[in-house]
Amino acid sequence: MVITSKQHRQHRGTIRAMVALMTTMAMAGALSACGLGGDKDSSEGSSDHVTIAAIYPKTGLYAEYGKMFQQGFDLAKDQVNKKGGIQGKRLDIDYYDTQSDAKQDAAVAPKIASDKSVIAVVGDYSSPASSAASPIFQQAGLVHYGFNNSSPTFTNSGDHVWTPQISQKTYQEVNAEAVSKRAEKISVVYIENDWGKESFQYFKEAAERLGVQIVYQSSYLPDSTDLTPILIPAKNAAPEAVVDIGYGPDGALIANTLRDKLDYKGPFFGGQETKEFLSLTGANAQGAIITGVFSATGTKDAKAKAFVKSFEDRYHTVPGNFEITAYQAIKDLAYAGEKTSPTREGIQEALSKVKDFPLYQGQGGTFRFNTKTRRADTIKPILLQVDQGKFKQIEE
Amino acid sequence: MVETLFSGLIHGGVYALAAVGMSLVFGVTNVANFAQGSLVAVGMMTAWWVGSSLGWGLVPTILAVVLVTGLVGLITNLLVITPLEGRQPIAALLGTVGLGQVLDNGMQLIFGSQTRPFPQLLPTHNLHALGISFGTSDLVMGLVALASMAALWAFLTYGRTGQAIRATSQDSQAALQMGVPVTSIRTIAFVIGSVLAGIAGIFIGLFKTNINPMDGNAIGMTAFVAAAIGGLGSIPGAIIGGLVLGLAEAVGVGLFGDGVHDLITFGTLLLVLILKPSGFLGRKADMGKEPMTGTLPEAARPIRLPLWANLGLAAAALATPFIFSDHLAGIGTQVAIYAIAAVGLTLISGSAGQTILGLAGPVAVGAYASALLTIRLHWPFTLSLLGAAVIAALAASLLTFPVWKLSGHYVAIATIGVGAVMVAIIRIWEPLTRGSLGLQGIPLPTFLGKPLYTQQMQYLLDLIVLLLVLAVISRIRSSHLGHVFEAIGEDGQAAWSLGIRTGAYKALAYALACGSAGIAGALLAHQYTYIDPTLFNPTMSTLILTIIVLGGMKSPTGAVIGSLILVGAPELLRILPEVRIMAYGLVLIIFIICRPQGLFSTKRRA
Repeated sequence: MVITSKQHRQHRGTIRAMVALMTTMAMAGALSACGLGGDKDSSEGSSDHVTIAAIYPKTGLYAEYGKMFQQGFDLAKDQVNKKGGIQGKRLDIDYYDTQSDAKQDAAVAPKIASDKSVIAVVGDYSSPASSAASPIFQQAGLVHYGFNNSSPTFTNSGDHVWTPQISQKTYQEVNAEAVSKRAEKISVVYIENDWGKESFQYFKEAAERLGVQIVYQSSYLPDSTDLTPILIPAKNAAPEAVVDIGYGPDGALIANTLRDKLDYKGPFFGGQETKEFLSLTGANAQGAIITGVFSATGTKDAKAKAFVKSFEDRYHTVPGNFEITAYQAIKDLAYAGEKTSPTREGIQEALSKVKDFPLYQGQGGTFRFNTKTRRADTIKPILLQVDQGKFKQIEE
Repeated sequence: MVETLFSGLIHGGVYALAAVGMSLVFGVTNVANFAQGSLVAVGMMTAWWVGSSLGWGLVPTILAVVLVTGLVGLITNLLVITPLEGRQPIAALLGTVGLGQVLDNGMQLIFGSQTRPFPQLLPTHNLHALGISFGTSDLVMGLVALASMAALWAFLTYGRTGQAIRATSQDSQAALQMGVPVTSIRTIAFVIGSVLAGIAGIFIGLFKTNINPMDGNAIGMTAFVAAAIGGLGSIPGAIIGGLVLGLAEAVGVGLFGDGVHDLITFGTLLLVLILKPSGFLGRKADMGKEPMTGTLPEAARPIRLPLWANLGLAAAALATPFIFSDHLAGIGTQVAIYAIAAVGLTLISGSAGQTILGLAGPVAVGAYASALLTIRLHWPFTLSLLGAAVIAALAASLLTFPVWKLSGHYVAIATIGVGAVMVAIIRIWEPLTRGSLGLQGIPLPTFLGKPLYTQQMQYLLDLIVLLLVLAVISRIRSSHLGHVFEAIGEDGQAAWSLGIRTGAYKALAYALACGSAGIAGALLAHQYTYIDPTLFNPTMSTLILTIIVLGGMKSPTGAVIGSLILVGAPELLRILPEVRIMAYGLVLIIFIICRPQGLFSTKRRA
């Protein structure tokens, strides 16, 4: 009896299920006018403002970089608007906190892509997070301006993905040349991620071509807290210089370990042009040579000097690498929109056609993009040396 | 070599100090406190603040840290740990995960996000030996670790409260009957654990010299590994575990470079557990049962919907891609993919009662398998999706094979190791995976040869796959095999005595879970079109486990609801960017306290 009643129930259930399924399918059919084709173009261009979307880490592990980015963004935006916006339209920046986490980038990207007032996207901090969003912007015909994404494969996602980051090949050739003038036998350590590995390969090729012998090499993980085990053999190989290819906090850890723990006295190449690096290393950074993109005190370019002044007036602190690249990103896109039109198509067109983007970093002047790689390979890095707790630009 | 060993010993001292508090809390409350690392960071940041901003010396700093961490420990214990007492330890574990998020992000709000130099409370580089400079700070750190071990030992052996703590940790029911105020005893142990964490924070700060409010996470994980190697609950074990880990890392990294760091850390964990199933000094008594699953009276039963309702919901879900905007569909893809990984996990962690903590590993293997099959061998997407499931299941089964003879918490801990080792191998196996460079240009998912290029199309695909996985898992649950899994989860001993080979069945349930995790990974890979090893981190593993705890451990439908809340809601919390992640942690804690059986389960009456 139990079994039959159960079967009966199941039978009735199946009928109800069929009805439910068919109703819903009918509903879906009716709705499929909307289809799977994505959001439809709504009216655009009539509004009095345009938007750049920023995907960036406001919270989480990389929040410090997010803060520096936002300072650069806001300053650039206000300057653009003070001069009348882009072709008379007010520029807004919509901020999206992603924690530089790929999952959140992928989730927020469609929202940005479907907002028709958005004419371009800047960010994210890390290349993997950026790359999770790129396909969505690419498909929406929206320029993804990964101003901090120096990963060698970053722009491969499509023709709307651009980065003004100096290519690592250029960067490391300058780095290797600077090293070769000061040492013949070196130990090299580099950060274990896409950027670090590729950079190391370029550095190694250039260094060997210049006759520099690498007597020890090792990568290190970004979150390692004790690098003594790799720095002991690095020092024991008796190099004339130690080279670190990495970022700020890890560069500081290496400099501190070499100087404090291992009593290494030779030259050190590495670190980052940030206040953070200086405060973390203190006297241990003295003499460290950094291949960088910007020096607030050393720059001779008039626009860059004006930037440093307005930055200091507003934030009461000296801008470094991250602030200038964020600032430059907004300025580039505004310039692009001004030259063509402040629309998605206009930005895309301008990035390949405009040949005189004002350049604030490096040696100043102007730059343009290589339309094949969508990278700015005309920007040249500069050399900085830490002296008395300050970055000094040095000429070779 | 001598200098490498020596530096490893010093670093091991740091691990040991952090592991002691972890082990104590675990021994007494049976809670793996994932907020322990955050408590270390609380101590570290407090010391930084009074030491640098106020310029206090070592002794007042220690007093301040003891006060602050003791207070934080007391408050969090009252608000989070005590309400979860007697509930499934897994709920308490996740409560501590939420707590950790609140503490980490709270400190970032209070102290700012930059990395900063730690004040030199003690000389850090004034001594030289064996080619290495070290400081009074390192010596004092070693002494503090030993002294706290000795003091704890004396307190636990001779003190009345200490004896009560031990009684509680051995058998809380019996202790209660003997008149031990169990709740207060647990509170005391937790506060002592917090204070130890805070003191560890001072010395870790001195060792690291540069600190960040978010450092707690990494410290907590290594402390946990060190405590597990030494044997959870054993204080001397924690110290041995810390030193062993420090030495193993120093030697391994010195020989092979830091690229193999994770492989060594978690490989050591696995190796030790395989050779010595309860760590160096762990108690055998821990071995009897899987303490992370519920005991009978509090077990939960998933809510079962009638077939028509299930089909109706499925059809309604399938309609959503046709009406959702790009934004909603984009969130939908993430919700569906995480749900796919979580649904499989209900089989092993829900039914078969085995907590799995390292599921990001199989997700990564699935992602890489499908990406490589389509890029290198030009397999069609549908086939590579299935291939990903099979390869993820096989790889996970092979690596986990020796683990099933473990018991108690150690299986769950070993799965952390397995997950981390999988990702570490992907990072090292460069010729195949391109290692840290990542894989780019993974083709979009296709259907009948047509690329699915809109969010809605991909979302529809994810939904269809999710429904298929749900159907398969639900079918397994109602089959004979499902009942066997259930029996093992309810009472492993009874199942064993009925002739069921519990280890083998757990391995099977785990393989099925890894298969669906592999599918989720493959979908992620083809939708992101770029993957690299950093995407598959411990946060991902914890998230997937949290999803099923929230939804109801045994309920596949609950897993979908859990994913909706945990993956979908943070996107909706975007209105409050600064406190978004903190709010997420709070919501998690409240959910776990108010509905420990999960959203989509009812409490079963005994």
